[in-house]
Amino acid sequence: MTDDRIDFSPLDPTKDTERFEAAVHSIGVEARGELARRRARASVVGQLGLWWKPLLAAAAITGIVSVSALLRFQASPATELADVGIAEAIGMPDPVAEWVRSDEVPSMSELIVAMEDES
Amino acid sequence: MASERDSDLPDALLVERARRGEAVAFEALVRRHYRAAYMVALALLGSAMDAEDVTQDAFVRAIERLDDLQRPERFAPWLMQIVRNRARNYHNYRRVRSTQPLDAVSAAGDADTEGDAERSDLRGELESALSELSEIQREVVLLHDMEGWKHREIAEALDLSEGMSRQHLMVARRTLRERLGEGFLREHSA
Repeated sequence: MTDDRIDFSPLDPTKDTERFEAAVHSIGVEARGELARRRARASVVGQLGLWWKPLLAAAAITGIVSVSALLRFQASPATELADVGIAEAIGMPDPVAEWVRSDEVPSMSELIVAMEDES
Repeated sequence: MASERDSDLPDALLVERARRGEAVAFEALVRRHYRAAYMVALALLGSAMDAEDVTQDAFVRAIERLDDLQRPERFAPWLMQIVRNRARNYHNYRRVRSTQPLDAVSAAGDADTEGDAERSDLRGELESALSELSEIQREVVLLHDMEGWKHREIAEALDLSEGMSRQHLMVARRTLRERLGEGFLREHSA
């Protein structure tokens, strides 16, 4: 098959080096704007790419810490924690906190004793 | 200017780099595929000057639409499709604008210096003989015999079967041999 090949080299546009170089240059000039746009876009994407891994690592660590904290809190009864927390936070005497939890109404004498014990 | 190292890189890599705006990579693609693109344009338009215009236009269009190329390793057949579309549009535009026949337009663009006279004569003979072929026959014979493309590659670029590519090549060569004469072909064989 190769022997049947017809020699089209007189049509070869790259044979005229000067003309070919001028054509390549002309294409380069015409494409300059598009190439510049692509470089600008690539640099924005590149910057995002540089930040992507550290951001991903930070998000992963935050996620792990959050999940483990949630699991730990879920392990103990929430209501008890809330009651004790509030009573302690406002400085409520222990007997008073017990009355609040049990919904019992203390007598006046029990109240006085409780307040005296606290002071 | 594209370095030798760039010119050795595969198309897929050059396309990826050109997508990021690397002018050197794009230039390497232009240098590598200019002749094939020009041959397809010449096959469709019949004029060296028009083929040059369309080839340049096609490369600019290619860089603008490079993100549409799904498989970067298939840059060459994709580029040839752009060349064909641009050439057809150009052909239609010119047909509307001018009533000059293709051959006349072609001859007008072939002013050469004295030193190029012989090559110009050969070119004239070849262009004249090629004008007797159909568009597809010209595309096939130029890509095969000038660019050394395989029938599989031609079929993909020109959207036809490998069998049809072989058929077009056979008919094109036979017609050219009849037109140019065995003497001419022997004298100027590769």
